[in-house]
Amino acid sequence: MADKKAVSGPPGRPGHNAVFMGGAKARDFKGTLLRLWKMTKGSRKGLFAVLALPCLMSVSAMLGPFFIGRIINGINGGNPVNMLILALILIYAGDWLIRLADIFITASVSQKLVFIIRKELFAAVKNLPVSFFDGVSTGDIMSRLTNDIDNISTIISESMGQLMMLVFTVAGVLGIMLWLDFRLTLAVLAAIPLVFILTRVVVGRTRVLFRRQQIVLGRMGGHIEESVSGLALVKAFGMEKQAEEKFEDLNGELADVGTSALIWSGYLMPVMNVINNLSFIFVSVAGGVMAAKGMVSVGVVSSFLLYSRQFTRPVNEIAAIFNVFQTAVAGAERVIEIFDEVPEPPDRPGAVPVKNASGNIVFDGVSFEYSPGVPVLKNVSFSVKAGEKIALVGPTGAGKTTVINLLTRFYDVTEGRILLDGIDLRDYRLKDLRACFGVVLQDTALFNMSVADNIRYGREGASDKEVTDAAKAAGAHDFIERTDGGYYSVIGAEGSDMSQGERQLIAIARALLAGASILILDEATSSVDTRTEMRIQTALKSLTRGRTSFIIAHRLSTIRDADRIILINDGRIAEEGTHEELMALGGTYALMYKTQSGSL
Amino acid sequence: MKLILSMIKGHIVLFSSAIFFLTAEAVCDLLQPALMARIVDDGIKNGDQAAVLRIGGIMLAVALTGAVCAVIRNNLASRTSQKIGRRMRSMVYGKILSFSFENIDRLHTGSLITRATNDVTQIQNFINGSMRILIKAPIICVGAIVLIITQTPAELPVVGVILLLCSVLIAGNMIMSYPRFGRLQKNLDRLNDVSREFLTSVKVVKVFGREKFEEAKFASAAGDLADSVVSAIKVAALFGPLINFTVNISVVVLLWLGAASGVSGVGGLMASINYMTQILFSLGMISAVLNIMSRAVASAGRINDILDEKPSMIWAGPSEARGFKDASVEFKNVSFRYGSSEKYALKNVSFYAAPGETIGIIGSTGSGKTSLINLIPRFYDASEGQVLIGGTDVRYADMERLRRFVSIVPQKATLFSGTIKDNLLWGNRSASLEEIKKAASAAGADAFVSSFKDGYDTVLGRGGVNLSGGQKQRLSIARALLRKPDILILDDSASALDASTEREVTKGVKKYSEGATIFIISQKIASVMGADKILVMDGGRLSASGTHEELMKECRLYREIYDSQIGDSGNGG
Repeated sequence: MADKKAVSGPPGRPGHNAVFMGGAKARDFKGTLLRLWKMTKGSRKGLFAVLALPCLMSVSAMLGPFFIGRIINGINGGNPVNMLILALILIYAGDWLIRLADIFITASVSQKLVFIIRKELFAAVKNLPVSFFDGVSTGDIMSRLTNDIDNISTIISESMGQLMMLVFTVAGVLGIMLWLDFRLTLAVLAAIPLVFILTRVVVGRTRVLFRRQQIVLGRMGGHIEESVSGLALVKAFGMEKQAEEKFEDLNGELADVGTSALIWSGYLMPVMNVINNLSFIFVSVAGGVMAAKGMVSVGVVSSFLLYSRQFTRPVNEIAAIFNVFQTAVAGAERVIEIFDEVPEPPDRPGAVPVKNASGNIVFDGVSFEYSPGVPVLKNVSFSVKAGEKIALVGPTGAGKTTVINLLTRFYDVTEGRILLDGIDLRDYRLKDLRACFGVVLQDTALFNMSVADNIRYGREGASDKEVTDAAKAAGAHDFIERTDGGYYSVIGAEGSDMSQGERQLIAIARALLAGASILILDEATSSVDTRTEMRIQTALKSLTRGRTSFIIAHRLSTIRDADRIILINDGRIAEEGTHEELMALGGTYALMYKTQSGSL
Repeated sequence: MKLILSMIKGHIVLFSSAIFFLTAEAVCDLLQPALMARIVDDGIKNGDQAAVLRIGGIMLAVALTGAVCAVIRNNLASRTSQKIGRRMRSMVYGKILSFSFENIDRLHTGSLITRATNDVTQIQNFINGSMRILIKAPIICVGAIVLIITQTPAELPVVGVILLLCSVLIAGNMIMSYPRFGRLQKNLDRLNDVSREFLTSVKVVKVFGREKFEEAKFASAAGDLADSVVSAIKVAALFGPLINFTVNISVVVLLWLGAASGVSGVGGLMASINYMTQILFSLGMISAVLNIMSRAVASAGRINDILDEKPSMIWAGPSEARGFKDASVEFKNVSFRYGSSEKYALKNVSFYAAPGETIGIIGSTGSGKTSLINLIPRFYDASEGQVLIGGTDVRYADMERLRRFVSIVPQKATLFSGTIKDNLLWGNRSASLEEIKKAASAAGADAFVSSFKDGYDTVLGRGGVNLSGGQKQRLSIARALLRKPDILILDDSASALDASTEREVTKGVKKYSEGATIFIISQKIASVMGADKILVMDGGRLSASGTHEELMKECRLYREIYDSQIGDSGNGG
């Protein structure tokens, strides 16, 4: 049942990343590796060392026994062996240093790479459009940024060097075998296709399983994230049991998939071992027959058999490493998926910077749909002169917030165009455009930083004085001063000792500090009491003088003095005018106002 | 470590069977080289084809047995480690759910996620890994030592010194890496927190153009994580090769001693060098496992932190808990402070709400309205005074009963991913579609839900992002209604509704939950005007209470609020 949880397109907002949330389909293996390879630019030298050092290690591993043999021969023959012993010590010392260097370099190289991949992934995430985030779970993306990338580092830090060493050994032993006897070598190689088939079968299976494991892990992160952020609700509704049940579903699925993955990958080595033994017996018999016919000497057959053992072991291990690769690739694929998401459209060629936006805004036949076929705004046209204070009102879900989403280009219009100072929004540089707006959103997201830094988020580098001024204008100064740490008190993530209204005040201060030419307040004062709001209004009045401002509010007393009130209903402009005009019109607005003031 | 051991103990049958098959597997493994040698010595060298086939047959049988054992062992080991992992995740998650708000305020979400997933995985890996080589390495090591003792007793002191040195090195490795792994996990927490914060505030980041800032924050967390990983691995880099080197040097010592004693000892010398190589191999495995173990132990410590975290609230058991006489709510001289804060959020608040009454609460931002109602379902405990429901102090109530009795619609309408129906069923899982619809229409949500293509089966995105603020609020109200609570608390939960919608919703809610005591917090005076009693909050104190008419007469603050919203509008009616 869990698989159908993919985001489909609900009426309202989009589900364009349905593919992204899709099932456990393994993707293009080679393409994934190639993509990762491209990211290694800049650490290729280090990677080379990671590959080369194990080769040196296998050389020293071979030299050791060689010298031991010489020493024993020397003792046997009664010759002096001091020099040889000294050589052996040097070899071991060299081996020590190589190993030390190998681990050191591998660690730094792999972690540097992981760091780069993380940074690039975050950079990619950061450039994704708002619509992307609407459809994914926070915990899942977090899992990609941590767990999945960690899996990639396993490839580099453990498997790659090992793989090199093994390939090196296999090549060496193969050479010796060929030199000893060509025909017997063929007999040894006869088992190789079996090994390949086996590996293919197992790996084909584990790859899908490991991928599913990562997906379930991501979903689990999502569920934990959701239930911790919503713990108040879980508790209020005594939903602990249900949350736990859902968790147990995921937990059980994770354990099941994990178990299957481990069991499947565990088949590889034992079966391989049996194949090796078969091959060994095959070669023994063949060798015996050949020796009996005098085709090879018995001595060659016996040493050949010993070498064949040295050959098959690393071949097995290579297969096993290939298995480990699968977890990594499963992680890598989930990382790459994000890179494949379509980022916010780049600025059009010739996009212009915004120069002192005066704030003339024109909506020209704007239609918009979050998901195809469900229009939210239908052919909306209106224009706003610089410095006007515009109120957007209308029933819930009428499309007020959508207007804001389009202005700030969180979304782009489906049809029509929006002009700022006569130029289509899409022809501006996005960064400049957004800098024109000081926005207070419905959902007041604050960061886990000090109050001062939260306000300063609106404009980097603002002085303390500017911060306090903004706070004063937003009516936040008094209560900030009253808290224990004042401006330096850190806002907790779910900060309980700050009320929703107080959070809104800080968000307003933040937007004021941005000093933008267009101010947007989307239900910015819904949790603020009316008296505080009136104080904010007074402050805003001086601040918004000369600035275009958009205000969405349900409390109509908030917007009564707007220059123009635009009433949106069912995606269209239903009424437009000043408070007095609309009251005189006696339409929907008048009705709404009367209802609210209790006079109906 | 105690946690890990107790976990293993819980699955001792599986664990020991895995160990049993591992032992059988190890024996088969160890037999193989001997058999191979015999094929060469007895068969090939003598040209005896029959012997080749016979010994080959035995070898194959041993290999097959070994393979079967290995498959079974792997099966058991995988099941055990996954079961243990699953159990631990359940424990951690269950514990998190049992936390009171005070606990949660202290712990970061990112850290909780790391602990429930990554930390458990570390332990799981260790347990799984240990079942693979726990037996093999010591068997080989002990076997080699025994052989040295019996065959070349003269070399015992050398071996003893080597083993002692290696033990010291391995111990040193563990001691040094343990705290580093702890730091590593902590940095992982931070990375999780930073990314979570960004993900939940995307719009704010984008609109203020602070992507670079967030990127720098993330890069610093990712950088710290990378550094701490490197620092942990460097410890292993320091000790691992050193252990190798020590054993290698001992081979040199043996050779040197052999050279001194002359030709006679060559056979024994070769044998003991062989054994030394085996010791080296098994020590390598042991130190690798122990390294994984220090990471697992560090993770176990972090999980223990969660499991040991004392819930800051003790609930009466179902048997000793007292019931509620009726749906009345009484505050007796209640004062309240958050955690260690010095500031009182509520000071000396007393009031009585009779069953079935509607109570309005109004007051300025930060005046303590939400703090006040948070005490009713016992999200927090009053610092002083008493909160009584139906005559019972909430501290003596059973949690489940209390939370069923009281239903709250919080200020922030939080919805969960899943369908609309799933979300509403949170209120009452056994509700039929008809009941759901009834509650939804009372909350004014049925109309818009029905207009969706998939109706109640519409899948909501993360946190219900695909709904407007007002739609979320109405669903949130419907969810609370579905519980048919005796006490219903609406915490400014209609703030995103337009006035006429709100009016309908309020009417619907009152009709739906007839007989229930209802608390309505609002900024809009029109929303509370019709209440039986209105509490006016100011700076954490109850400044006045009464009906609208009484307050208009007696309370200046209330009148001011009224005037600011309605009274002086002149053209309001």
